[in-house]
Amino acid sequence: MILENFVASFFLIALGLYCMATKKNLIKILIGMGLCDYGANLLIVSVGFNPGGTAPIFTISELSRDSFFVDPVPQALTLTSIVIGACTTAMVLGLVIRIKAKYGTLDSTKIRKLRG
Amino acid sequence: MSAAVSNFPIIAIITFFLGAFLIALIGRLNKVLRNVLVFISVTVPLVLMCLLIKPVMTDGQIVAYWMGNWAPVSDWAIGIGIEVDALGLFFGLIVTLAAFVSALYSFTYMNRDDSLENYYTLFLMLSGALLGLTQSGDLFNIFVMIEIMTMTIVALTAFRVDYDGALEGGLKYMVVGSIGSTCLLVGIAMTYRQLHTLNLAQIASKLPGNMNAVTIAAFAFLLVGFITKASLFPFHPIEADAQTVAPASISLMISGVITKCGVYGLIRVCYNLFQNIDAPSVEILITGFGALSCFICVTMAFNQHNFKRLLAFHSISQVGYVIAAAGLGTALGLNAGLYHAMNHLLFKGLLFLCAGAVEYAAGTLDLDRLGGLSKKMPKTCALFLIGAASISGLPPFNGFASKWLIYQASFEKGVSSGNFYFVVICVICLISSVLTLASFVKVSQSVFFGQLNPEFEDTKEVPAAMRIPMWILAVLCIVTGLFPNQVMKYVTGPAANAAINVGTYIDTMLGQNTAAEYGIASQATTEIGKIGIWSPVSWLLLLLIITCAVCLVSVIEDPKKTTEEERFEYNKSKGRIAKFSRDGFKAAGKELPEAENAPAEEYDKPGHHRNPVLSGSTMTFTGERDPKYEVFFSGEMPEYSQVGGSDLFWGFKHSWRRYFSYWRKWHSGIVNDYVLYGVAALAFVLLYAVLFV
Repeated sequence: MILENFVASFFLIALGLYCMATKKNLIKILIGMGLCDYGANLLIVSVGFNPGGTAPIFTISELSRDSFFVDPVPQALTLTSIVIGACTTAMVLGLVIRIKAKYGTLDSTKIRKLRG
Repeated sequence: MSAAVSNFPIIAIITFFLGAFLIALIGRLNKVLRNVLVFISVTVPLVLMCLLIKPVMTDGQIVAYWMGNWAPVSDWAIGIGIEVDALGLFFGLIVTLAAFVSALYSFTYMNRDDSLENYYTLFLMLSGALLGLTQSGDLFNIFVMIEIMTMTIVALTAFRVDYDGALEGGLKYMVVGSIGSTCLLVGIAMTYRQLHTLNLAQIASKLPGNMNAVTIAAFAFLLVGFITKASLFPFHPIEADAQTVAPASISLMISGVITKCGVYGLIRVCYNLFQNIDAPSVEILITGFGALSCFICVTMAFNQHNFKRLLAFHSISQVGYVIAAAGLGTALGLNAGLYHAMNHLLFKGLLFLCAGAVEYAAGTLDLDRLGGLSKKMPKTCALFLIGAASISGLPPFNGFASKWLIYQASFEKGVSSGNFYFVVICVICLISSVLTLASFVKVSQSVFFGQLNPEFEDTKEVPAAMRIPMWILAVLCIVTGLFPNQVMKYVTGPAANAAINVGTYIDTMLGQNTAAEYGIASQATTEIGKIGIWSPVSWLLLLLIITCAVCLVSVIEDPKKTTEEERFEYNKSKGRIAKFSRDGFKAAGKELPEAENAPAEEYDKPGHHRNPVLSGSTMTFTGERDPKYEVFFSGEMPEYSQVGGSDLFWGFKHSWRRYFSYWRKWHSGIVNDYVLYGVAALAFVLLYAVLFV
């Protein structure tokens, strides 16, 4: 099951990169960035998964030598990374709205004042 | 180590963030209060970092602080650590110095913009994130800080939304930068999978014994992530765009600090975490990236017509030098790289601030329109010349010393390893330096010298408050250039040693003898051998003597020399100038060259009036030099005939036109293309790492 997760996460990242490299619409580029993010998040959360483990929520008295649970650190990391991804999306959307107002287009081949 | 010292790094980071939030709350109320708050929040971290110099740099301690006092349990790091060794402190000093100078400059430079409380909030968050990145001892924290940095720098790049291309620059930085962020995250996840830790010291202790296909792939991902942040080739177009459109104080931060954080990450990953910098394949990969960015970006700078865009390409080229030197894997190479990294902040910061001053005073950065500004802004011009001489590597400025070290290090590496490749790197660096000099000749000619465009007739020198931060950088440029041996002994030497001696770092963080358990030998402090820099003090003396001699020769006046005014009167007395009308000037002008040979005694004749008031004429004689009387313009109305920036090296550009047009097409400005280059680089590095590392 873990292996499928890894394959799926790298597939998502590759799909996102493909989307960013080929799609001309800025919103689609943004979706590509989102896909990359989701792939990375899936990878991190899978990294900490132990087959058959329980949720890592215990009080001190419940914790014993033979309690078997999934690694809680990657879950915390994933939460952080999801928040960062949401910030990125919001930031890019804000820029895209401004660009649409200023350039009158969302076509990335027409937004090229800075070149050469 | 006293307890107080270990708190300094975290206090410095918190001061930045606290200042940011306080300004967001109350910055709107009072302008003076806001500026005072900004000043305090940039000064306190700088002072704290300077206080750390003695224990860390001189005494060789490593300052460790565990957040919430979660100290390691039985050699296992369970908390988040702040770990400051000499390498981290070196980059921390770069960050705080840049933040201090940039904030000081912003007080005047940004005063024509509104909603400045947002600007300062973002600026302080950026500085805090950068400082946190350099001081952190936790891989995931480094990622979070990089993300805060990306977010704030995009907002700051697009801060002047009406500026042409500002939004575009921000968007491109975000989109292409996200490739780097994803790569870092994937690399961190893979490292965690293998080692179940995020602490740098612990990774460093466990990784070398655990190399397999996954960790090598993780290495490739981390490498690409930090290459993106250092914006080396082929990620450089976004960096150039962002630096072009950002306010000058932010361009300083991007070029001086953000790229340095990528450099810091690369050094940490290669020297400390994976410790595979000694492998020839890694050396070839990293120096290759450095040399490629170095050469391509310096040639790209030739094509530019925008002052700041030209500087931006030079900035990437200089970072290429740093990477090429640091990738050599020798103590001298790392020393040279760190030295150049510091110098790059000093001279490139100075040049960006000069560009900002020109923009502030003249309102444009177009190299084809500017010209002759040295008459209007002599002080800025002097500062610019210091920066230009430093970046071109003229003695005795700092660029000379660090570039010399880079040449020496790469050549020595080539000789000692017997690999011709490193000699080629040395030659590429040399050629790039020559091209840098040529490029700055062009900039100084088309901005400060030549003829003044009549458009900028009423340009004024920028206020002194803007020149003070520029002088700070200029003085540092000169000081670090004059005393290279001291800089290497007290600043870059300890930092390079800290990067090379991983064992000490691990022992300090996880308890004594941890490194030995994992089989990592503590290396002795490497002494740098003979340094080939010529004594800069004697160079300076020689330069002074030559300058004095030239001045003396030009001051001694030729007794027969006559001024324009005297010549004019002489002609008048001879009756050559009949009528003081516009037509009369033309007629008289033709005869003027003859007056060159007039004997001086003529002027001392009695009854000769020196300053006549030309009554009854259509023009009054003000005594100023009029180009109409000069030999080459005799009889013609003076015309604006500045040699434009693009004309100066037209021969060179013509013979290289195919090369230039190829790279012009390459920098197409379409964000999809830039993403494609990034993905190609990622694929290349992954393949290379799997095959050769």
